[in-house]
Amino acid sequence: MTIKSVDCQTVSKTFYDAVIVGSGVAGAIVAKQLSEQGKNVLILEAGTSRDLTLAGFQSYVETFYGAIAKHANSPYPLNLNALSPTDGLNSYFEEKGPMPLSGSYTRVTGGTTMHWQGTTLRMLPDDFKLRSKYGQGLDWPIEYTDLMPYYRKAEYEIGVSGNTKEQKELDIPFLPGYVFPMKELPPSYLDEQIREKIDGTTFDLDKETIKLKLSSFPQGRNSVPNPDYALYHGDVFVPSGVTSENPLEYGERCQGNASCVPICPVQAKYDARRTLGTIAFPDRVHLLSQAVASRVEIDPENGRVTAIHYKHYKDKNSPQYTIGTAKGRLFVLAANAIENAKLMLASELLSTSGLIGNNMMDHPFILTWALMPQVIGTMRGPLVTSGIGTFRKGKFRKQQSAFGIAIENSGWGWSGTGATDVLRDAVNRNRYGKDLRQELIDRISRQLLLAFMCELPADYSNRVTIDPQYKDRLGNYRPVIHFNISDYCKKTMADARKVSREIFKRLKAEDYTHYKNSDPAYFEYEGEGYWYRGGNHFSGTHVMGTSKHNSVVNKNLRSWDYENLYLVGSGSMPSIGTANTTLTIAALSFLASEQMLKDLNT
Amino acid sequence: MDIDTPEFMEYFLDFSVAVTGFSRFDLQGTGQVSLYFSTIRGIIGDQIFGELLQTFHDLDRKAKRENNQSVLTDGISFEILVSGKLGPIARNIIKLWYTAIWYQLPSPWQEKFGARQNDITFIVSPYAYPEGLLWPAIGVNPPGAKAPGYGTWSEPPSVKLS
Ligand SMILES: Cc1cc2nc3c(=O)[nH]c(=O)nc-3n(C[C@H](O)[C@H](O)[C@H](O)COP(=O)(O)OP(=O)(O)OC[C@H]3O[C@@H](n4cnc5c(N)ncnc54)[C@H](O)[C@@H]3O)c2cc1C
Ligand code: SF4
Repeated sequence: MTIKSVDCQTVSKTFYDAVIVGSGVAGAIVAKQLSEQGKNVLILEAGTSRDLTLAGFQSYVETFYGAIAKHANSPYPLNLNALSPTDGLNSYFEEKGPMPLSGSYTRVTGGTTMHWQGTTLRMLPDDFKLRSKYGQGLDWPIEYTDLMPYYRKAEYEIGVSGNTKEQKELDIPFLPGYVFPMKELPPSYLDEQIREKIDGTTFDLDKETIKLKLSSFPQGRNSVPNPDYALYHGDVFVPSGVTSENPLEYGERCQGNASCVPICPVQAKYDARRTLGTIAFPDRVHLLSQAVASRVEIDPENGRVTAIHYKHYKDKNSPQYTIGTAKGRLFVLAANAIENAKLMLASELLSTSGLIGNNMMDHPFILTWALMPQVIGTMRGPLVTSGIGTFRKGKFRKQQSAFGIAIENSGWGWSGTGATDVLRDAVNRNRYGKDLRQELIDRISRQLLLAFMCELPADYSNRVTIDPQYKDRLGNYRPVIHFNISDYCKKTMADARKVSREIFKRLKAEDYTHYKNSDPAYFEYEGEGYWYRGGNHFSGTHVMGTSKHNSVVNKNLRSWDYENLYLVGSGSMPSIGTANTTLTIAALSFLASEQMLKDLNT
Repeated sequence: MDIDTPEFMEYFLDFSVAVTGFSRFDLQGTGQVSLYFSTIRGIIGDQIFGELLQTFHDLDRKAKRENNQSVLTDGISFEILVSGKLGPIARNIIKLWYTAIWYQLPSPWQEKFGARQNDITFIVSPYAYPEGLLWPAIGVNPPGAKAPGYGTWSEPPSVKLS
């Protein structure tokens, strides 16, 4: 049984316990938690919802097969009524620079987890104290230990595969005896080739000697359940599959389709539809899709939120819409960091701290690429199975940002020379037949790409704003982005490049990295040029803090200025360390749901 | 010229074997032979497509008659691939086999031999995409299809440098 799709009429006649904007992982978890405690909730979703059926999902796969450019949003049909930014391919973000943010998210039911990669790292305890320990960015009002129980809930909900022993080596504490629900995914052949040459070697960063060591990535992707999980949980984890039919064929173990971004055809990878599909009391959850929230209505008398106004369209190919309102006791914005901030600004919400939209963070990536001396079988398996986490912590964080290294199994596609590009180039040089086949093996199956994900602390001037000049087809604001990269981060990007040179040397790999100065994300640091790629981890736009003067929400993600308004998602995070944001978003959604239930029950 | 005949379909297969480096068995196994044939024909027309296939077939016959493979390989290089008329078509056919994408012909070709109405860059069919030869050529599954199974990515690669 799935949650109930409703129409505008039903919504207008219902008074909900909670109205949630957005059906991504954040909104889905809140809906699940509240409904399981007897609350009636509504989810307003800007995108379409055809992916809730297996046939609808298959049509995404088919759209992906038929797309020439297989970019992050290629399975999801263009929707001008609720555009999804796609690395600058459409003009949804209005980028004001000086540097581009780029990146993407997906406005369909299930949100951006539909095309996320699925890496589920926990943040390090130090990441919560970036200001007090390293003098950078912002501190959280809570600590790692406060979030620990919620991390465990998130790991259960997402279905994390991984190895806690390896994570502990990074000083990440776990409950004694705790393991992830499933064992780590087997490392790729490439990982092992690198491990052999790299493990145990060192690199000096700012007078600190860092030991290089490979470890598996925890990820929201089905592997083999870990029997030891029963010791903690009482039961072995049973991977849940697809929302609807044929769970035997779908939603099973990862089968190495190698297309996790933008879509996992067998649904071995978690996406938020799984949370929506496992809600125990689905009749308590209403979903109104194709409804773009456009204003938060406030009662000027008591300063409480009274309704969400939305624009509902019948056909994504037509600009026609009707206006509706959704009423309830509690309101939850879960539309992601950028959309949440935009919606609040568009509603002219009061902000004592003046921080709505500011402090926007992301994880810029430096990519480096080389050809290995031997064939390594590039383009097999999940996009990433292992990485090097040892640069995620250190005293150097006073001077420069921390970073994590991912070993990409998918070759050079991200840096612009994927398999299809190599093929076209070889054929254009009149290679054919057996020679062509050999050239492809030579130039693709040896490709190694390292992705360095760098921390970018909160900076007041990095922000999302709105401007009446920039609206979309429904008359909703498009995000206006101001973004720059600090020297604190650039220094690390330059060092990341040095680390890659060292790694390539040890692997005897031929370095092909070059950064064209015509790239929009090109910059120079100490005489050398680089470019970065957006990390899709937008956050910080409504930070949590200790008072209404230094933050937008409190430690339970409740707005300081509106007591029946919650802002869930990475917008509430004051720092993001070197962990991809989603596991922490999920943990915070569990934490916030507890407080919401308390509010609703008093 | 009418190329809608069994011989031309045969020439097309032989030509495809020579330029892709895959066997007839492999090509037929994709299930796309007739779709590709009709797609190419539908875009560039019988005249030039026929000329390409006939040129190839003549070279092939001559090579066999003289029992000299280099007649064919030199012919493909110097009479077909470097030809302003046939080269772009031949290269497009290789790309089509490898990626299921028909690429719009270069503008010099269009200017000289006439722009064709259906000549745009497109994927011939969503289900041709997983049949692209690029993937078996490098020993992998097409991303998003024909999943090889759990843990297969740990095994040594199946392809080698010669
Ligand atoms: C290519 C890519 C790879 C990624 N890989 C990883 C990874 O490996 N690990 C990781 O941790 N994170 C990853 N991320 C980030 C991750 O996808 C996001 O952090 C996560 O999905 C955010 O969840 P959310 O629920 O907060 O927001 P979203 O998933 O963006 O959901 C927001 C929902 O709100 C809806 N919405 C938006 N505006 C409105 C409106 N006005 N009215 C109504 N509804 C609205 C949207 O349609 C959407 O359904 C990746 C992102 C991308 C793009
Ligand atoms: S490798 Fe494949 S099967 Fe595994 S999660 Fe990615 S797309 Fe799904």
